[in-house]
Amino acid sequence: MDLVAQLFVDGVINGSHYALVGLGFGLIFGPTRITHFAFGPLYALAAYACWTAAVPLNLPLPVAAAVGVAAGAVSGVVTYRVLYRPFERRQSASLVVLIASLGLFIVLENAIGVVFGSDTKVVARFNADVILWGDVVFTSVQAWQVAALVVIGTLLALFLRYSDYGKAIVAMTDNPEMARIVGIDTVRLTTLVFALGSAIAAVPAVLILLKEGATPYMGFSAVFMGFVAVIVGGIGSLRGAVIGGLALGLVENLGAWQIPTEWQSTIAFVVLFLVLLLKPRGLFGRGAR
Amino acid sequence: MGYLLHILVMVSLYAILAVSFNLLIGFAGLFALSQAAFFGVGAYTTAILATKLDLAFPLPLLAGVLLTAGLGILVALPALRIGGDHLVVVTLALQIIAVAVMVNWRSVTGGTDGIAGIPKIVLWGTALDSPARFLPFALAVAAASVALAWRLAASPFARAVRAMRENELAAQAVGKNVVAIKLAVFAFSAALAAVAGGLYAHYIGFVSAETFTLDLTIYVLAMVILGGTGNLWGSLLGALILTALPELLKFVALAPDIADKSRQILYGLALIAILLLRPQGLVGEIPTRRRRVVVEGHGPAPLGATAPADGTVVVEGRGLMRRFGGIVAVSGLDIELRRGRIVGLIGPNGAGKTTAFNLLTGFLRPDAGSVTLNGVPLAGARPHQIVRRGMARSFQDLKLFSRMTVLDNVMVALPRQKGDNPLYVYLAPWVVAAEERANRQRALAILDFVGLGERAGDTAENLSYAEEKLLVIARLVATGAEVLLFDEPLSGLAPNTLEAIFPIIRRLAESGKAICIIEHNLDVIRGLCHTAVFLDEGRKLVEDAPEKLIADPALAARYFG
Repeated sequence: MDLVAQLFVDGVINGSHYALVGLGFGLIFGPTRITHFAFGPLYALAAYACWTAAVPLNLPLPVAAAVGVAAGAVSGVVTYRVLYRPFERRQSASLVVLIASLGLFIVLENAIGVVFGSDTKVVARFNADVILWGDVVFTSVQAWQVAALVVIGTLLALFLRYSDYGKAIVAMTDNPEMARIVGIDTVRLTTLVFALGSAIAAVPAVLILLKEGATPYMGFSAVFMGFVAVIVGGIGSLRGAVIGGLALGLVENLGAWQIPTEWQSTIAFVVLFLVLLLKPRGLFGRGAR
Repeated sequence: MGYLLHILVMVSLYAILAVSFNLLIGFAGLFALSQAAFFGVGAYTTAILATKLDLAFPLPLLAGVLLTAGLGILVALPALRIGGDHLVVVTLALQIIAVAVMVNWRSVTGGTDGIAGIPKIVLWGTALDSPARFLPFALAVAAASVALAWRLAASPFARAVRAMRENELAAQAVGKNVVAIKLAVFAFSAALAAVAGGLYAHYIGFVSAETFTLDLTIYVLAMVILGGTGNLWGSLLGALILTALPELLKFVALAPDIADKSRQILYGLALIAILLLRPQGLVGEIPTRRRRVVVEGHGPAPLGATAPADGTVVVEGRGLMRRFGGIVAVSGLDIELRRGRIVGLIGPNGAGKTTAFNLLTGFLRPDAGSVTLNGVPLAGARPHQIVRRGMARSFQDLKLFSRMTVLDNVMVALPRQKGDNPLYVYLAPWVVAAEERANRQRALAILDFVGLGERAGDTAENLSYAEEKLLVIARLVATGAEVLLFDEPLSGLAPNTLEAIFPIIRRLAESGKAICIIEHNLDVIRGLCHTAVFLDEGRKLVEDAPEKLIADPALAARYFG
């Protein structure tokens, strides 16, 4: 029973991480429908920016974390403005944008590897506290991962519900064409969701840096799990992305109870297939056409 | 010398892969990220069967091809039914699972050690154990693969694929099963990748999971994009350049790790640069020639088999209801369409007229109510099935296949084409060729019937607005359906053009078609329809003879009010 409790807590922790990444990815993907593969290396970039501020520059950790989040937001906006916007302007097929994004993905991933090297970067002076809850063990960073989801998720929900920008984002997610017609500046709004989504994704990136360290390849699993969380939850539903992410984390960790660990990483995809078979539009998808 | 020949063998293998990927991306407009996995499954299956069961070439390779195609179908089916971005994420998942299986299923795949000692191919007593001996064979297989792909791309099947790529809804509306089409291309593409994989296993003699990762998919993607997605030759060129280029780069002295990463960066930059600067790639799409179309002798009857225009009820809709969110678009609608009769559907904007068409033709499912066609319920039938059973519709916004020729727009809509089935294309090409000749005559006759015979060889986007409207009618007639639903076939036309189209629609009715048209112009309703149905806020208010309906002051107030 203790083992199950531990696996459950681990599942919630990892699930919170996936959910947060899914929120970042979904916030961009929902309104823009850009299959933003470069989301992965931008996430890695945020972690490396934080590491650069914390280790070579020796800045205090909160400052370094802020640098990481800012780097995430800025690189997200630059990516939209420099890479995606030209394609958008000439109304390229979504396939073209997707391939360009994949191109940027490999450029950035490998560029990070060339600049920083392939070894794992850690913030050595940071040591997470170990917290004991009965028989269940977790660290302070893991607690932050869950707390970050709760705080950011709540703030984002409030923002989308009550602010004008938030309402406009929801409208654009529902129907971009209609949003344009009623006079919403979709370019500006897209810039905003790239900034917000990338900044949100930078938070789990920084936490992973503190937890396990950063590698050039860390972005792949981020964009992939974010994407899967969004599809499982249902495109266009951020609540779905959160629940999708949590479900992935739980299934992955609880699966480890019975399934050999080397297969752990594939469990998520089995979930993906099952959801697509049983609920093709995801758990919270926006109805049939 | 051996080195150069080795490079050429690799070019041949990559050419097969690139062509297989281009079929998916360029030809069908589908995007998947699992080409490396298919290549790998083909290679591993070949390796396992050849080493563990001692099967001789070509059995292991064929088994690999079948397994891979089956796997592709299994994985893609749920995603293809939904469409959109799902295929990307599902194939990405497949790619990752495939590599995980290769690494973790140690008893069969050898785990991280891979499988070594795969026997060479022996042909007519000669082992193909050197690049020089393997190259002719590799070239032959590559040529055969390209020929197979090319044959497919020049068949009636390809016409259906192009139509689907241009407009999926319209392709369904002319009776094409778009899911089946996508699945066929996907399976074919996967199978071709597996052929390359099987050859690779035999040639190298060793397989290992790290060869078949996403990086390889991206590498092949770069070949396809560099060459251009518009035609297959581009992929050959792309494969040649991107196989040779890294070999040349090897002469630049860099640390191996950095060199590998720099190469990846180069591919990525190349992808972006090509898409920005020359999206059509090195070899652009070969423009469709403006074909001269010659009619030989008298064409067949344009309308095919006719039925007596005797007023028999063909379509019966009962209590149709559909809501969107809180809004009721159609409510309690009863409608009957009879052989030889033209029913006009009128009412203000938002009255639910187009929704009614969508409900009748399966593009929308009714929340309540039922539709029968010749007494057979249509519940659950998909749009292409309903077209094949005999009810077809046009769209208010035309949805022509605008980059296809006028003739192809009509030919693609002709029913029951054997050439739509790739098996016929390959196994009975003469049947397909004969059918094509007949269909061409039939399509020309239909074009003559609407008065577009002269424009058969033009691209649809070059037509005038009135001609576009005529082509919509021709395409709808070509489906051979006995029930034709026209969504505003005459809107926006000048009066003299109207006069020219009236007789066409009348003759359709006289030949026994049951017709329903949505129309705003009351003159059209009066001049054409036997009965008119007035819809408002999703309900049928009146059904009567057009003159009486138009004379009703209460309706006029609603209509114009």
